[in-house]
This record gives sequence, structure tokens and C-alpha cells, in this order.
Amino acid sequence: MSGEGTVNPQRTRRLHDADVVYLYDGSFEGFLCCVFESFAQHEIPFAVWTPQRETSTLYPVKDIPTDHARAQRVFASFGRKLGAETEYLVSRDFLSGREDKELLLIRFLHLAFALGPGTVKRTGHPDVAPLYEMKKSLDWEVDKFQGFVRFEEHDGMLGAVIHPKNYILPLLRPHFCGRFPEEDFLIYDAVHQAVLLQQEHKTRLLELAAPLELPPPSAREQQFQALWTQFYKTLEIQARHNEKGRMSHCPKRFWADMVEMKDEF
Amino acid sequence: MEQTLMDKLTILADSAKYDVACTSSGASRTARAGTLGSCYAPGCCHAFTADGRCVSLLKVLMTNRCAFDCSYCVNRRSNDIPRATFTPRELTELTVEFYRRNYIEGLFLSSAVLGTPDYTTERMLAALRLLRGEYRFGGYIHAKAIPGTSPELLQQLGYLADRLSVNVELPSEQSLNLLAPDKGRHSIFRPMKQIAVSGAQSKQELAVYRHAPKFAPAGQSTQMIVGASPETDYHILKLTEGMYRKYSLKRVFYSAYIPVAEDSRLPALDTKPPLLREHRLYQADWLLRFYQFEADEILDRDNPNFNPYLDPKCNWAVQHYGLFPVDVNRAPFEMLLRVPGIGPKSARRIWHARKLSSLGLDELKRMGVVLKRAQYFITCNGFSGAHPGRGTAGRERITQALIDPNVFGGNCEQLSLFTPPAVDELITQGVAPRAALRMVREEAVQCLAKAL
Repeated sequence: MSGEGTVNPQRTRRLHDADVVYLYDGSFEGFLCCVFESFAQHEIPFAVWTPQRETSTLYPVKDIPTDHARAQRVFASFGRKLGAETEYLVSRDFLSGREDKELLLIRFLHLAFALGPGTVKRTGHPDVAPLYEMKKSLDWEVDKFQGFVRFEEHDGMLGAVIHPKNYILPLLRPHFCGRFPEEDFLIYDAVHQAVLLQQEHKTRLLELAAPLELPPPSAREQQFQALWTQFYKTLEIQARHNEKGRMSHCPKRFWADMVEMKDEF
Repeated sequence: MEQTLMDKLTILADSAKYDVACTSSGASRTARAGTLGSCYAPGCCHAFTADGRCVSLLKVLMTNRCAFDCSYCVNRRSNDIPRATFTPRELTELTVEFYRRNYIEGLFLSSAVLGTPDYTTERMLAALRLLRGEYRFGGYIHAKAIPGTSPELLQQLGYLADRLSVNVELPSEQSLNLLAPDKGRHSIFRPMKQIAVSGAQSKQELAVYRHAPKFAPAGQSTQMIVGASPETDYHILKLTEGMYRKYSLKRVFYSAYIPVAEDSRLPALDTKPPLLREHRLYQADWLLRFYQFEADEILDRDNPNFNPYLDPKCNWAVQHYGLFPVDVNRAPFEMLLRVPGIGPKSARRIWHARKLSSLGLDELKRMGVVLKRAQYFITCNGFSGAHPGRGTAGRERITQALIDPNVFGGNCEQLSLFTPPAVDELITQGVAPRAALRMVREEAVQCLAKAL
């Protein structure tokens, strides 16, 4: 977009904000290729989009193809040059539901490769702090959903529906697999249209093409739901009623998927 | 008439709900093949009741038929309420089915004293054996030690449960003798000591032989009722500190007394539960466990009760105003922890980040420091401390920033849960709630500013 006729090689080598949009397939490997491109061109793109988030723009859109070998190369450099903590933080934050997560991560990585492995500890730096914000939101949601997932039994199979803001199924996986080794279960993430499925001791993470509908609960299932709802209602101590307290710990967006909250919702 | 499972659950959950401990923390294990259930060390909340308390465990009594007659308790012998008893099988199935649906993290089993303490514990043991044995349940189990149980049975209980607890209930022997004549001080502290000793022993054995059986791996906790008897906050806090040290308790819970009986020895039925006092005790408890405070620093003989308008940490900072401001880039860790607005997490972040670069206000803000309160107590790069101004106005500005927002929060229809007693008093005299709040707030600010 610059109006200069001749290109000054020194200037292009310096990291700069480029008026360009990266478009990738939304996978972690695809994102790593965006990182590669950004470092190769010494540029920070105006935005990074996936096909779902694509909108019309005046800026040129650069298609970033997903290349497995290139992604591996980038990922290996995280652990080797930036340390395990950075590797963990970046991989985890990629699951965030924030629109500009790729851009925030790319900005951070440019800083981190410049300053070295200690960069993650600079929690007050404007390019580092957003990563901890994303991590906080993710951790919070994972923590909440570990408790708020509600299974229903259908012919011996347990099924649950959730509506999370972040893509947390990969993070829920170790918890639920480590808890129910003998059960067949599925957790359906209706926002990201993905399913965590455990069947016959095998666990898979699937992306669905069409929405999933759970069958209505059986009589036996309804009985347990009634028992649980009754137990939940009994526990309240009237003299300490505190609606605000409940809302801050369990915001309303969770209620639709929680059997004991459905009739209050 | 035969009671249904629904009736029993309702009665026995209702009887157990005044026990406040409902954490599932402290134990960590993953389910092995063929078993059901794991434990997650930080604990997990599965629901929140309309009073804002967490539901983590299936908290029920084995039975609410009680041989004891403790006057503060709903289940006392002389109280006319419906009674029910679970069979071990019913309780086990309920736990497993709730657990599979991810409603709960495990079982919290307590009981009224059915016949004798030993008989009651035997029944609890029967249920836990079914659960751990036949159902191969690996979820969290919190079991209550019934006062007066024989040591052998308690030992067995400890090998089945993750956490044990013995409730102190009343903070002094006099109150205990007066209100709970069937429980002696001895019957409470003897099992507490046994649990502490067995737990420590089990840890040693585990170090030598990793398959040694674990005795209550999540430790023990206890609970105290606040406001049923005349003890001061200082007394309660000293007792707490003593128990943390002597019996290595994991947690002490406090429960604001909610009147359940008309009795001349107890507060009247229309007394409001002292929720603010309970809240302050929890705050002080946090200072003991995570902020390296000692009970004698928080309260002392001359000030035996909490300041209703300031949280204990702010209160300490105000009383030691001469030690501040501290330089965030140099101060030792324990001093960072004492700055109002800096918690353990931001203190740790500061500790790491300041080795890499000098920190200014923007950095601190991004790390999660609450500058509204902290600004009067710190200096940092490019900031030499907030100057509130001279004289009374300046001191009042500091107090305004420090005063506990929870106390004076709330709107015109509903006052905050933690309304201080002074406001309640004014309201009973006929002052409008909002005016009462404002009056008390102004007075508190002036009073605190004067002391600064």
C-alpha cells in the first residue's frame, strides 16, 4: 500500500504493521503457518481470519495454506527457544473464543522471539497481558463446565449438551476420561458443533456437519432428574437468600443446559 | 406409611444443609480401569443454590433420628420434625447415579446419633464399604466423625473417606457445656487428634511404600457456629490458629447462627444471622492461611472484634500506616502481600516481572492489582505514591477508597447481605434504609479518618 516506487531493503526487513489480512483454515497448524508467514515477511497483519469470520474488506487478503512440515517447524521452535511455559500458554490460548486471538498471539510471539524465554513472566507488558486474560477466561470456563455439565442416560450412554464461549472440549477431555473410564459418554458443544465421544474405551473429538439432537429422557432418567432438582431446592437456606451471589458464581448463560435450573430459567 | 426415596432425600438433605463445609478439595486421583470416579485437587462446584453457596457433594445425613439434645441443632431429640433413615444400599445407589450424571463430586456423609455413636458409625461404614467395594467408587467422600465414636471405628472410617471432620460447633467449653450437654470438649478434640496423628503416620508409610493405604488423604476440617454464644472474634480466631497448628487442619468453616429453636440460652428467634461477622472471619482465616498473618496481628485483647467497615487486611494496613508506602520494585514478598489491593497471585506476578523490568502503574494494573486501594500504599516506577491531600479531607479520601464496598452495597429495595448492625438499628428506629446507610457510612468514614 505504500506509495514509494523503490523498495528500500532495510525498511522491509524491519517488523511493521502491514495492511493485509491473513486467511487460514482455523486449525492450530494453519495458525502456526500464519505465524511463519508473519515472521518471514516481518509484518504484523491487520487481521487474521478463518472462513467463518471472513467479511468483505478493502485490504488485500492473503491465503495462508496449511503446511504440516512448516507448522511442525514453528511449533518446535516454541519449546526450544521460548520454553515450555510459553509453548503451553500459546497452545492453550489458541482455544480461546476471542475474535482477535491470532493477532494477539502473533504480536506476543514477535516480542517473545525478540526478548527470549523470560517474556511470559512480563505479565504487565501490553503484548503479554492479553494472553493471561485469555487464559483466565479459558480456565474459568473449563473449571465451570467440569462442574456444570449435566449428563442424561439414554440406553446406557451418557449425553450432555454445552454452550461454551471458548472451544474447551479438548481441555475437558482429560477430566472426563479420567473420571468415567468404564462409561460411554458424549459431550456435545452446540456452539462449535463438536463432540467429545467415548465409546468402548476409545475417545474421539469430532466436528459435526449438522446439529445434534438428544432424545427425550426416559422415565427412569426423569426420576433421577426430579430427585436431583428436589435435592438442589432443599439445600437453600432462606435466611441467607442471595441471588446476586448465585449469579456471579453461576451466570444465567449456563442455566439452559442445567436440569435443576431449567424451570427458573 | 412407607417413605419414598424422594421423601427421605428431602428430609435428610434438609437436616444436613446447615453444615457449611462442602468442599471437595485436597485429594487427587484418576480413575483406574474398572472403577468409577476421580478426585480433582482444587475441588469442583457442581451447582450454586439460591443463597449463593456451592453444591459440591451429595450432602445428607444417614439418619436424623438423634439421641442427643443440642439446643442449637434442628435435629435435637426434643424437636418435633419428620424423621427418616437411609439404608446403606439406597444411599449408595443415589450417590452413584448422581455422580454418573455429573451432578456431584462425591458424598458428604454425616449423621445424627442413632442409638449410640458406635452404632451410627457402623451404619456409615456399611454404606461407604458398599460404595468403595461393590461399586468401586473413586469419587470424593467426606465423612463426619460422630463425637464419642470408638477410635477403632474412626480409624476404619479414615481409610474409606478422603476427608474427615469433627465439628467443634461452639468455640468454648462453657458454651459447649451449656448448649450441647451430650458432647464434651474431650469427645471433640480426642478424635481430632487421632485423625491428625493417623494422617501424618499414613503419609510417612506412603513415602516408604507407595501402595500403603491412605488415611483421609484430604485431611480434616471443622466447623464453628458464630453468634450462638458470647465469644469474641479474637477468641474464635485464636482458637482457629491453634487448631491449624496443632491438628494441621485443612480448613475451618464458620457458620452464622440461624435461630432454629426458642430457648432462653440462645439468641431470640428473630435475630438476623450475623453474616457480616462470618464474612470477616473467613477473610481473617484467609489472611492466616495465604497471607502469612498471625491471629495477634489481626485482632488483640484491646480490639477483640472485627471492624465492620474495613476488611481485616485494610484494617491492619491503616493501623500500620507508618510502614507504607512500599516500593513495589524492591519490597520483600511478605510486604507486597500486605498491601491492600495486592493478592497472592498479583504478588507472585510482581515478584517475577520485576526481575525483568522496572514496573510502573500501567504494568501493575494489567497484572490485576486493584489500584483504587493500593495507590495509597505503594510507590513504583514513575509514581511516588498518591497524595490524598492534607488534613482531614485527605484522610477521608483514603478511607473512602478503603471502606468495604460489600457492606454499603445493595440498592434501595434490597440492602446488602452484609449490612452492619448499626444500620439495622437505625432502620428499626424508623429511619429509611438508604438514609440509614448514608448516615452510618459518613460516620464510619469520619471515625476511621480520625484514627488514621
